[in-house]
This record gives sequence, C-alpha cells and structure tokens, in this order.
Amino acid sequence: MKKKVLTTIMAAVIAATALAGCGSGAQTGGGDDGAASANVPTEPFGDTVKYDPSVAINDGKDITVELWEWGSDELFQQVIDGYQAIHPNVTIKLVNNPWEDYWTKLPLALDGENGPAIFNVHNSYHENLINYLAPLDIPLEDLEADFTGVEAHVIDGKVYYIDYGMMTGSVYYNKDMWEAAGLTENDIPKTWDEMREVAKKLTIKDGDRLVQAGLNFNDDFHQNYLLGLNYQLGDNLFQEDGRTPNVNTDNMKKIMQMLVDMYEVDGVGSKDFGEKGADSFGQGQSAMVIQWGHYYNTLNTTWTDINFGVFEIPTFDGEPYAYNRYNGESTFGINKNAPAEQQAVAQDFVKYFLANDEAQIAFNMAMSTFPAKKSLADNEQVMQNPSLSILADHIDHYIWPGPMPSTMETSLKKAGQDVFFNGVDIDTALNEAQESIIRDMKSSTFESVESLYKYAK
Amino acid sequence: MSAGCRKGMVINMRRKIFGIVLNVILVVLGLVTVYPFIWMLFSSFKENKEIMALEQHLLPSAFTVDNYINMNARFNFMRFFANSLLVTIVVTLAVVYTSTLCGFVLSKYKFKGRNILFGFVLSTMMIPWCVTIIPKYSMIQSFGWLDSYKALIIPAMFSGFGIFNMKQHIATLPDEILEAARIDGANEFFIFHRIIFPMAKNGISSIAIFQFLWTWEDYLWPYLVINTKEKQLLAVGLKMFSGQYSTDYGALFAATAISIIPVLLIYIIFQKQFIAGVASAAVKG
Repeated sequence: MKKKVLTTIMAAVIAATALAGCGSGAQTGGGDDGAASANVPTEPFGDTVKYDPSVAINDGKDITVELWEWGSDELFQQVIDGYQAIHPNVTIKLVNNPWEDYWTKLPLALDGENGPAIFNVHNSYHENLINYLAPLDIPLEDLEADFTGVEAHVIDGKVYYIDYGMMTGSVYYNKDMWEAAGLTENDIPKTWDEMREVAKKLTIKDGDRLVQAGLNFNDDFHQNYLLGLNYQLGDNLFQEDGRTPNVNTDNMKKIMQMLVDMYEVDGVGSKDFGEKGADSFGQGQSAMVIQWGHYYNTLNTTWTDINFGVFEIPTFDGEPYAYNRYNGESTFGINKNAPAEQQAVAQDFVKYFLANDEAQIAFNMAMSTFPAKKSLADNEQVMQNPSLSILADHIDHYIWPGPMPSTMETSLKKAGQDVFFNGVDIDTALNEAQESIIRDMKSSTFESVESLYKYAK
Repeated sequence: MSAGCRKGMVINMRRKIFGIVLNVILVVLGLVTVYPFIWMLFSSFKENKEIMALEQHLLPSAFTVDNYINMNARFNFMRFFANSLLVTIVVTLAVVYTSTLCGFVLSKYKFKGRNILFGFVLSTMMIPWCVTIIPKYSMIQSFGWLDSYKALIIPAMFSGFGIFNMKQHIATLPDEILEAARIDGANEFFIFHRIIFPMAKNGISSIAIFQFLWTWEDYLWPYLVINTKEKQLLAVGLKMFSGQYSTDYGALFAATAISIIPVLLIYIIFQKQFIAGVASAAVKG
C-alpha cells in the first residue's frame, strides 16, 4: 500500500514538473536578447529633460547596479534593455520583490552600503524612504516643464522622485446590464442626482430581496467617495495649516448622507450585498462601481466575461472645484548610500526613463495611469485606453493631497462602518474620525500639498 | 444468559459505539482539515474568474492546465524548486547531526554547567524570531554573506528545538549499552555514530520532518537575504503571485500544489518514526 502511494506521488511529481517545465518557454528573454533587438538611439531625445546617448557612463568602464522593484519584470526589463543597448558597459540587475514585503526588505538594505542603487518607490511609503533618497540631478524647472505635479514633490528646493502617472477613480459599468435596463450612451450621468436615477434603473429586486445592485460601494466608500468627493464641494482634506484633517465638515456629512440614502432610501445597493463592491461587479452582481485605474487591468485579466464601460466620476453641480483626488505612481528612487559611481549610473538611468516617451507610455499603460508627462496627454495609444481617455478633458482638475498617512483611510473606513453597521450617527462617526486622525498624525511629518493645486482658492 | 455475560456484552457494545462515534468525529475533523487543500488542488485547474466567482463549486466547470503551464511566466519555477530542495536538505541534515550530537552530550555526559548550557539552549527557543531578525540581518550583512546560501544554511545549522528533542530522546537509551560498548573498546566517536545514531532514529525522524517543513516553508529570512533571482527559494516565489492590486490565484494554487509534494513525501516516508519520536520526547523527562 505504502509503495503504491509513493509510486502515485512520484508519478504526480514527474507529471507536474513536466507540465511546469513546458512553461519555461513562456519566459521572456534576459537582458542580452532584449538589448540586441532594441532600437539604439544616437541623437539626444526628450522634451525639456533631454537624454544624450553619446555621453559615456562610468568612463566606459564596466559597472553593475541593482534595480529593485515589485510588479512586472518584463516592463522594467524593457527599459533596462533599452538603456543597456546604449551603454553596454552598464549591467542593471533586476530584483523582483513581492509588493507587501518589499517595504520590509528595502529599508533594511538601504540602511547598509550594499543596497540597490535604483529602486521603485510608492509615495505611501514616503516617510520610510525619504532619508535614503538622493535628490534628482535634473534642474527643477526642466522637470516642471515636462511633468505635471512636480511642485508637490519639492522638498527644500530638491526633488527626490516625481510622478510618471496619475491614478484616480472612475465609474465602471456593466454594459449588458445597462442595455437590459433600457439605458443608452446618452444616459451616462454627469451629476450625482442623475447617477442615483440611473442606479435605480439598474437595480433589480425580487420582492425585498436585492438581485442586482445598481451601485455597489461596499468596502470602497472611504477610498473612493469620502476621500475625494469633498473636493467637488470645495473642501480640502486638510485645513490651511496642512496638518489638521478636515473630515467632519458639513460637506463630508453631506457625502456620507448621500451614500446612506443611496442604500437606505433609493435601495440601489446594500451593505450586505457582497463584501467588496469590486468583486461584486466582477461577479456580475452589481451594475456600477467606482474604482481606481488599476481596476481596468483587473477586469481585463480576472473578470474577462464582464462587458464593461467606464465614465468619468459625476459631480454635484457640473462645475466642481476639483473632480476627485488622484495619487501618483512614482519614478525610481536613487540610493544616497550607494557608491558614487553607482549613483551616477542611477541618475543617468532616471533621466533616460523620464526622457523616453516609449517607456513612459509603457509604464502608464501597464498601470492604467494618466501620463504625468505633458506631451503625452493626448497620445494616441493612451487615448485608446477608455479608463484614461475619459480623464483627458479635466486631468488638471484632480488634486493630490500628498502622501497621506494611512490613518486617513483607516479612520474614515471605521467611520463608514460605524454608520452602516453599528448605528452610529454621521456627526459622531466623523467627529471620531477627525479626533483619531489628529491623534495618529502627531508623530507624522506629513504636510498637505493641496495648496499647490493649479486652481487652489 | 448470566448477568455477568450480559454486562460484558453491554460494555462491548458501548465500546463499539464509542469507537464508531470517535471515528466519525475524526473523519469529520480530518475532512475539515483536508478540505481547503482539496479545494486548492481542484482550483489550480480553474480559471481565475471561476476561482473568484460568486457561486463556488469544488470541481472546475472548465478544466484547464494553463495555470501549471504558465507558472513559469513569472519565475523559473523548477529552478526555485531545486534551490529550495537543496537548501532544505542541507539544513535538515545539518540540524539532524548537530542536534543528535548535542543531545548525546547533554544527556549522556556529566560535566559542570551542563544544566546551564541546556537552559541556554532552551532559552533560544523562547525568544521570538522577529526580535532577532534585524540583528541577524546586520550580522549577515557585515559578514558579507548576503545573497549567498551561507546566510540560509549556517545560522540554521543549530536548532534549540532539535537539541531539546534529541536530548530527551537519547536520555531514554540505557547507559548500560554505552558502558558495554566502552568495555568492548569502542571510542566515543564510534559510540555516537554506530550506536546512538541508529538507536535514535525515531527522534531523528521527528526533527527531520519538522526541520524539513520549517525550512521548506520559511519565507521571510530567505526573502531578506537572497536577491539574485536564480538563487531564490520557492516560498519566496509563491509570494510573487500576489501583486499590489491583485493576485493570480490560479498560478498560485498550481505552484503551491506542486510545492507541497516534497513535504508530503517526507511525511509519508517517516511517519511511523515521527509519531514514535514525538511520543517518546513528550513523555520522557
């Protein structure tokens, strides 16, 4: 019997390893193959930030640096291949990391002398990384000329990283459900009142039982509504001092009340109808959700059966102070503790990345972010992505509040849960959130950059 | 039928019923324990949309082996698998040897400070690993061992649990056997390798299984110290399927299903000795 079990397992191992071995062909080639096929530029390229490929790096001597990142190896390897094709003496070793634990390993490595010279940055970890970053060796005015939102990243006249793309929330709708409800493209709502009416039409009930939600914001209301719609009504998330939260205002109460009314008065959804709105939409249970740009990729990779469309977030009156909050996807960081010659390569690589339109488009398409590079705002390839093209008209009417501490999200999430699940009144819930954020931010160095918004009052 | 005979039948009947009830409970508990694994195994043959669907079925409605074929799209699965196997086998062999050696010395030799030494070994088990990980990382960094298997193998060569377990186990072996061997002219080296080792196979099996499992599934330490993709271990590779915004569950389940095969094999091979070893270490003081 034991022999039989062992034999069966051995057979399973062989079969499984054979199957896994079949997949090895799917792996993309390493740096050499890519470098060979890359189109090697010889003339300077870029807008204001220009990259001159004729300038030798490290005096033409061989040098190896590491680039740490999370996400798609292919995406980063493409840029590396292009760079290495120009500078064959430079080897950039790509080190892929899982997103979650990257933030444990990276600060440990940066603390020593052997950390990566170049690394991927996410602005939510700004405070953990800023002390390890070297400022970019590119004139500030050049960066500002080419990219949106640079001024928000200036610290004492220096810039350590900027955004290559901007991500924000839009409305994703199920086209089949839309059609079944007798709606057409002309019914795309522009205001929240219209949105509520459309949501009612998309809602299907069997008696009192909800069968299809017109709109689902379960697990999303803090991220996609409370931390964004305030701008439509003219409120910043932080008061004038840039540190005191502004979350128990009349306008925030109005937004929370609208969410409560959508579920409890309009009946277009329910707090108990699917744990997460995003999953419920993917499972074909909900007709509309507001999600950030990354959801476009999720729908195309995981929820492939959903026939979806996307439109810009509605406003209260058609003339918002700003449409919504955005967050940037950041350019690479440069390790200030790395040896000088490695830092020089890193500086050069970042300049290459910023000047290279192909790389900028590839990164923005991969992340479904709107390009921060001004010259790419109407790029044909970018406009083919509906989650980006709908933002094009008003992209300058979105605000980045800065790398907010996570307490902003967690405190407002708790406030919403208290209102929906624990019977707490809106005033009390938002006052508690305000107090909680003030308490949590005592040790934070965060200061809002909302005052740098182009149309700031 | 006599009263005594009837009483005996009643007791027998009660025992039978108790046995059936106990077995039913064990089967139910076994199913509850195994079900997530079975679900994962079947889900590895589903597409992601089916894994995430609202209506869940155990068996895939559209059977696919794409998850197994595409596993290598993210990393060289077989390379990671081989790396894990190498490191795990080396660490397990080292721990088995050092634990048995230390267990032998601590249980069969009487010397000054033996109990203090044993207490020191025990205390290493009582410090949470998360407290030591940063100093350990700094040490490895200053030794220049980062991105090398030395960082995975050398600090793991001694196990407090293994030494404790083997000391308890070897203490149960009669001293007379060792005395007889010494009278016959055997040296300590011979006694350890030719008498203690074979007689401690139950204890060795149990720590071998534990150590194999722990090393095989260890994630954070290998992740922290290994950078080069070609040297990375499978537990780290499995984490790569979880992205910033989404997780490729199909590929993750396929890779996990294959990754647990060595652990299953080790357990099946050593299970009898494992149970005996754990039992003996648990009851002897």
